[in-house]
Amino acid sequence: MPDLNSPPLVNVQIDGVWHQFPKGTRMIEACAQAGAYIPRYCYHPKLSSPGNCRMCLIEMGMPRMGPDRKPELGSDAKPIINWMPRPQISCAQDVSEGMGIRTNSPLAEECRRGVMEFLLINHPLDCPICDQAGECRLQEFSVEYGRADSRFLENKVKKPKRVEIGPRVTLDDERCILCSRCVRFCQEIAKDDVLGFVDRGSHTILTAHPGRRLENNYSLNTVDICPVGALTSSHFRFEMRVWFLKETKSVCTSCATGCNMIIGSREDVIYRQTPRENSAVNSVWMCDYGRLNFEYLTSTDRLLEPAIFDGTKLEATDWKKAIEYTALQLKHFNGWDIAIVASARMTNEELWLTSQLAHQLSVSLIDVVPRQDTGDDILLSRDRNPNVNGAKIILGLDAEPGTHLKRIAEGVAGGRIKALIALGEDPTEFGITVDQLKQLPSFVMMSILHNAATPHATALFPAAAYAEKRGSMINGRGRLQRLNRAVRSPGDARDDWEILRDLSQAITGSNGIYTIEDVFKQMAGSIPEFDGLSLSKIGELGLKLIPTPEGTTTPLPPGEPVDEKVFEREMKRAPK
Amino acid sequence: MDAAISHYPPDRKRSAALPLLHLWQEHFGFISDEAVYAISAKLGLEPINILELVTFYPMLRQQRTGKTHIRVCRTLSCAMAGSYRLMENLCARTGIKPHYNSEGMHNPVSVSPDRNFSIEFVECLASCGTAPVCMVNDELRENILPETVEQILSNRPADGLKAQSVHPLEHRLVFKNIGREGWTTDIDCYLRDGGYEQLRKAVTMSREQIVNEVKTSGLRGRGGAGFPCGVKWSFIKPDEKKPVYLICNADESEPGTFKDRYIIHQDPHQLLEGILISCFALNARTAYIYIRGEFPEGAKVLDRAIEEARAKSFLGRNILGTDFSVEVYTYRGAGAYICGEETGLIESLEGKRAYPRIKPPYFPAVLGLYMCPTIVNNVETLCHVKHIIAIGGGEYAKLGRPNNTGTRIVCVSGDVVRPGYFEIEVGAVTMGQLIYDMAGGMKFGRQLKAVIPGGSSAKVLRADERFKLKLKQADGSMAEREIFLDQIPMDFDSLAAAGSMAGSGGVIVLDDSRDMVWALNNINEFYAHESCGQCTPCREGSLWMKKITDRMLKGGGVVQDPATLKSIGDNIAGRTICAFGEACAWPTQSFVEKFPEDFAAHAQKSAPPPLPPELTPEELIAKTKIPVTPLAHDPGWEKAGRAGII
Repeated sequence: MPDLNSPPLVNVQIDGVWHQFPKGTRMIEACAQAGAYIPRYCYHPKLSSPGNCRMCLIEMGMPRMGPDRKPELGSDAKPIINWMPRPQISCAQDVSEGMGIRTNSPLAEECRRGVMEFLLINHPLDCPICDQAGECRLQEFSVEYGRADSRFLENKVKKPKRVEIGPRVTLDDERCILCSRCVRFCQEIAKDDVLGFVDRGSHTILTAHPGRRLENNYSLNTVDICPVGALTSSHFRFEMRVWFLKETKSVCTSCATGCNMIIGSREDVIYRQTPRENSAVNSVWMCDYGRLNFEYLTSTDRLLEPAIFDGTKLEATDWKKAIEYTALQLKHFNGWDIAIVASARMTNEELWLTSQLAHQLSVSLIDVVPRQDTGDDILLSRDRNPNVNGAKIILGLDAEPGTHLKRIAEGVAGGRIKALIALGEDPTEFGITVDQLKQLPSFVMMSILHNAATPHATALFPAAAYAEKRGSMINGRGRLQRLNRAVRSPGDARDDWEILRDLSQAITGSNGIYTIEDVFKQMAGSIPEFDGLSLSKIGELGLKLIPTPEGTTTPLPPGEPVDEKVFEREMKRAPK
Repeated sequence: MDAAISHYPPDRKRSAALPLLHLWQEHFGFISDEAVYAISAKLGLEPINILELVTFYPMLRQQRTGKTHIRVCRTLSCAMAGSYRLMENLCARTGIKPHYNSEGMHNPVSVSPDRNFSIEFVECLASCGTAPVCMVNDELRENILPETVEQILSNRPADGLKAQSVHPLEHRLVFKNIGREGWTTDIDCYLRDGGYEQLRKAVTMSREQIVNEVKTSGLRGRGGAGFPCGVKWSFIKPDEKKPVYLICNADESEPGTFKDRYIIHQDPHQLLEGILISCFALNARTAYIYIRGEFPEGAKVLDRAIEEARAKSFLGRNILGTDFSVEVYTYRGAGAYICGEETGLIESLEGKRAYPRIKPPYFPAVLGLYMCPTIVNNVETLCHVKHIIAIGGGEYAKLGRPNNTGTRIVCVSGDVVRPGYFEIEVGAVTMGQLIYDMAGGMKFGRQLKAVIPGGSSAKVLRADERFKLKLKQADGSMAEREIFLDQIPMDFDSLAAAGSMAGSGGVIVLDDSRDMVWALNNINEFYAHESCGQCTPCREGSLWMKKITDRMLKGGGVVQDPATLKSIGDNIAGRTICAFGEACAWPTQSFVEKFPEDFAAHAQKSAPPPLPPELTPEELIAKTKIPVTPLAHDPGWEKAGRAGII
């Protein structure tokens, strides 16, 4: 039975072979699906098509109509195609029934060679020092359509260089090919119309008004979509050749949106984070705040070794001693003497082990710290915790996160709580004073960085940051996604789940967990939402785990269908 | 300002950007930073939106001019008539050091030390028949002898031009009143001559009847492409739900064309009547007349005509007592040739840079102004509509030749004795009759070398070429005949068959004193300056071609230059968003192909001479100086200079 929701298919001839595509498929996309990738500069699937670069010219034809207004059929029972004399752009039209496309004809190739030459005559050809080198579309298509020699004997047009067009973006107008992708992005996605063209003809330059800057929170997307080296990231500029970067697929943890991203690192140093396409989460965009939020990983404030309080001061030690000491100490307390403050920045696996620890210690006072800030309706969520939904499900929080924090603070102040376990959160940020922390008989802390509370811990565990570990999280719209390890943790800092597992084992003996997959398996066995899942089943694009919570502040990806069910539908591949 | 904004739909205030910039410039003399902020705030835009316009349209200036601002036309017909020498003389008299950048940009404006005068070169002012011309502030000065700059500088009014008498070969329909004794632009004069009778007649007809009359008449667009007007009109659905717009394209700027200027300035009501009939036929409630910025007087004439017509109930609410209401507004361009392209014009009218739109999907008749169905017609075409209603489509179709019906205005300029405008029955006059009989022939002792038959973008025709034309015999069969240039009938199909086009009807004649490389360089400079810069081939190719011909003229031509020029043209034509690609490629393709000897003479070196040392961007910025290159490459005046004549 035909699926009523999916559009009807149309027959299209591409390079002599007939294919079927859903109606509404752009010609350039249809060709790519048929294996004929058409070079392009100005076309971007998520933006409007101005058709200005003229790189995607192809030969196109429509079926020849007989006197009965029906297509005439050839000897192969396929429509006879009337080819148009002039080449057409393939980026602005959808395929239609009986259409013919030639992507590799002599005319199409000659057109590309012509456009390539035009694009390069006034280009500075400074590839050796250009940041875009290695991922530049001019370089890419020059391989097939460029000339070995130049016929251009004139002086090149001079344009501004090294323009700081915004706090994070640097512009080189001589490299710009005026494709207008960045201008359209600012108008259509970022809703901040700051970029434009001034002057005319070959002297046209891309710029912002002198009184305004490209400083919106999405400015670095213009760098991603710039097909050449005109817009470069001021942060990444001249830092690393892109071909040396190891690319790790992960998700951003700076807010509840959980934008899919690629971490670019080399030898345990992150150089940049760029968005990775996921039409259900972030489309192909990412905010500047999220993508630059990795500097703290190499901060001098990183905790590098575990430490325990020896009665006089916090003394560095090894992991075995630190864990044994902490387990011994915690076993002295009754469950009602202990409070656990976990974090909604922890992965599901870490939260599960936390809930197991609470169970072993009979702790009932457990909560996570809420983190609200300003958001927008593009990508940034007001909820800056990446995994509140995970915390709610796994820790079984019945109320909103943070409801019990006041009680915990009062308990510490009043002396009713004798042991405080703070996992990835700083207690001084939710109403507990340093003096109160000093009075606590036991204050176990797991943290990435030094903060106001760390000097007063009785046991201090250096933990791993988001790019240093694996695990899963549930974003603000209920999508389960995976984190991957791009770099190793510095010093003796360890994966959080390993610390928690060891602590739990030291309290009750072996729990049979050796890998993070084991943690997930155990969790999937106990929590119905995760039933039947494993880390590998989540996949690179994640999967919808729970319905979108009411009143979520996590926006839908800009420019994508408002109907979320579209994302859940299985992608249909057109039969050849 | 608010009045200007009220001409556009409330959610389309952006359209008022250009009118507001004009108002500001008229009041303050130039567009300051403050203006950019003020106007963008007024229209709810970002400052960059306004800055984009200020830097796109050459008429908008970002610096103050002298008390008297002189704009000298430098395009082909004027250049042939000595406008470069005129510029030299003006600079010498006013003490201005010409800032002349050879890369096609005319900025910045050069101001004299006493700030009394400023001079700039501009592209075609659409008065090629009275070349050379310049504009002194807003006033056009025609037929200036380069030696008589004093008259311009002292701002003495020009002598009245003698009206052109009607040539016996002419058939005056649209131009009936141009240069007519005692004819004035006011409505009473027009009414005395039977004015607005056709509008009265039209409103009693049904819409389909009018469209059918226009279809039967076979009227083809007079703007350049020659598209059948009735077919264009029939793209508008009779039951269209969205508002329909009619735009009159009065952005006459194809070099060699100067017909609309006379209709607008001398017979505005004829145009208005044509527009109103067309609006009625198309059910368009709003019409805009997009008039080029260099016609400030024309815009005033039209505005006055609109008010007069409103007072007599020919436009406005319930015209002539019917239930049909229509508003007509003028919209002034600002010196961009590309606004003559219909989708570029629409973008400009929407208050944006005049970047032509891709077709498909943005066919004006479907997704035009404000994404509504829009018809864009040339001034002359709309005037013809009035005459079609007067005599009927069938009768009109008997004028001219089949598929080339009616009359059309042909403008002749360049090296002829009597340049001017001639309204002929299409195809009834041959090229030879036009040049030798009507335009007075070649100047003394000169031979015809080449003709550009349809505005500077049409392919050039060589005087000694033979053309093979298929002609219909008396018995209806087709026969191929070889004919000379003089024998080509002046109609759409014959000129197309001869390998060129009738275009906008601007015929530019070149005699044997002209160097074709020089002529092509002048045309190339025009297109390099006017390319909007949106799509790659035209943006990069037009300036490249200009740089090559420029180098050839300076003695740096290398043997491969002609072939390179030809292939650049080939890589532009047919691969751009709009027809500007063809417009800038055809001259180069045809000049190089048809005059190989002229090009070979300039392309003899085996390697290019070393380029002048390049300044780094920092140096360019630090110096804020653009190197001064010789003003012209006119071999005539260079020789004269050496001989000590000037």
